[in-house]
Amino acid sequence: MIGALDIFAVALFFISFFGLITSRNIIKTIIFILTMQTSVIMFWLFIGSRTGTIPPIIDVGDIAYMYNLPAYADPLPQALMLTTIIIGICVVAINIIMLNTLFRKYKTTEWSNMAKLARKDHIEKY
Amino acid sequence: MDMLSETLLVTLLVIWVLCCVLILFERRIYRNIIYFGIFSLIASLCYLLLGAPDVAMAEAGISVFATIFFIVCIEKSYSRQGGAVREKSESMRRGRWIIKIAVPLVFSAGLFALFVRFMPDIPVNTYLKDQFLARFMTDVGGYNAVTAILLGYRVYDTLFEALILVVSVVAVAHMSWAEELSVPDGRHSEIENSNMAVFTMRIICPIILIFGAYLILNGHVAAGGGFLGGVAISTFFICRYYIYGIYDMPVKKVMRMEELVFIYFTLMAVLFVTLIGANIYLPSDFAEVYQHLYLIIMNTLIGLKVACGFFIIFYRYVTVERIEGELPAEEGGSQA
Repeated sequence: MIGALDIFAVALFFISFFGLITSRNIIKTIIFILTMQTSVIMFWLFIGSRTGTIPPIIDVGDIAYMYNLPAYADPLPQALMLTTIIIGICVVAINIIMLNTLFRKYKTTEWSNMAKLARKDHIEKY
Repeated sequence: MDMLSETLLVTLLVIWVLCCVLILFERRIYRNIIYFGIFSLIASLCYLLLGAPDVAMAEAGISVFATIFFIVCIEKSYSRQGGAVREKSESMRRGRWIIKIAVPLVFSAGLFALFVRFMPDIPVNTYLKDQFLARFMTDVGGYNAVTAILLGYRVYDTLFEALILVVSVVAVAHMSWAEELSVPDGRHSEIENSNMAVFTMRIICPIILIFGAYLILNGHVAAGGGFLGGVAISTFFICRYYIYGIYDMPVKKVMRMEELVFIYFTLMAVLFVTLIGANIYLPSDFAEVYQHLYLIIMNTLIGLKVACGFFIIFYRYVTVERIEGELPAEEGGSQA
């Protein structure tokens, strides 16, 4: 059953991909980068929880957990995804600071307007 | 997984995908950001149902920061011009929608179909999971397997992740338009705060700080750890900024402190890898004490590092990026 749920994460990845290449506003593009990353994290956690969904935190003094190993969720994808989340927010912070700098120069947040103004700027300069 | 939580998971996933479709069709940016908050909250609940409480807490904390960054970014461009200004991009010419909408739609739908058709359906290999779960208590120590992997088996991953946070802070400080690092101390912000929110935050603020310290110090025995504690502590500083509305934080000193913490963190990790968990060279009677000490020190260093990083990024946004009128305005750009 859990294996069949992967389709949600894959579908969300491609919906975000479609939004990424068709959205006209730059802020919306940055939001779609974040949703794409969330779908990838969800896919990994689906794979890690196919055998069991108990959190991999062992009770103090619980010796019998060794005989129940398949019921626990996989801790390795969780540890990797924890670092992925922090890296994702770093990427978004850099994106937003670049957008702010560009907004101060061109006073717009639309892709097409900004491309037109940048082209005009380039032609005037050279 | 029982029937009830499975039904709940499927329902949440359907709402999750619908939220993304809503973002796709909504053109007002404030609403997009609110939909993104709902999206993150539902994703966090799903992580909890899938047995990943650490990742769920990290996602919840990070969604708060992403919302704050977006709002700080757009409030200059949208709300200061008097109400929500709808930007007009050029209307689509005849036949232009084929290139702009139809071709990407066919492209992504085709990729999706290909992925679903050829997705390998092999059973999951659980060898590493069994090894990690069976041996992490003696190898690294603690009772939380995720923290044991982060700080023991894969400590180099954590090292490079902290390096990326440093790089991001440096990029944020040097890629923006302003030359100076911070504004003069004691300058008041023009934020309009309501009494009710300030009263509530004054009560919640110390509790958030204690919660962050608890998450850091208990990271090896319960769900939590350095990342989540650091995010909670930097949330405390955001609340403090909102209550007093004054820039009196020494940002340069915090930047220097972050670099120092990173150096200590690297030294500690290298020491640990050299000693391999402190149970070879050290007397084995006290192995558990050394291991717990190592885990607590590493969690504290990571927590300080993440708190400093997010603190610097947030203050950079709200202080330097919000001040206007210090650069000569570019006249060519305003005639869109």
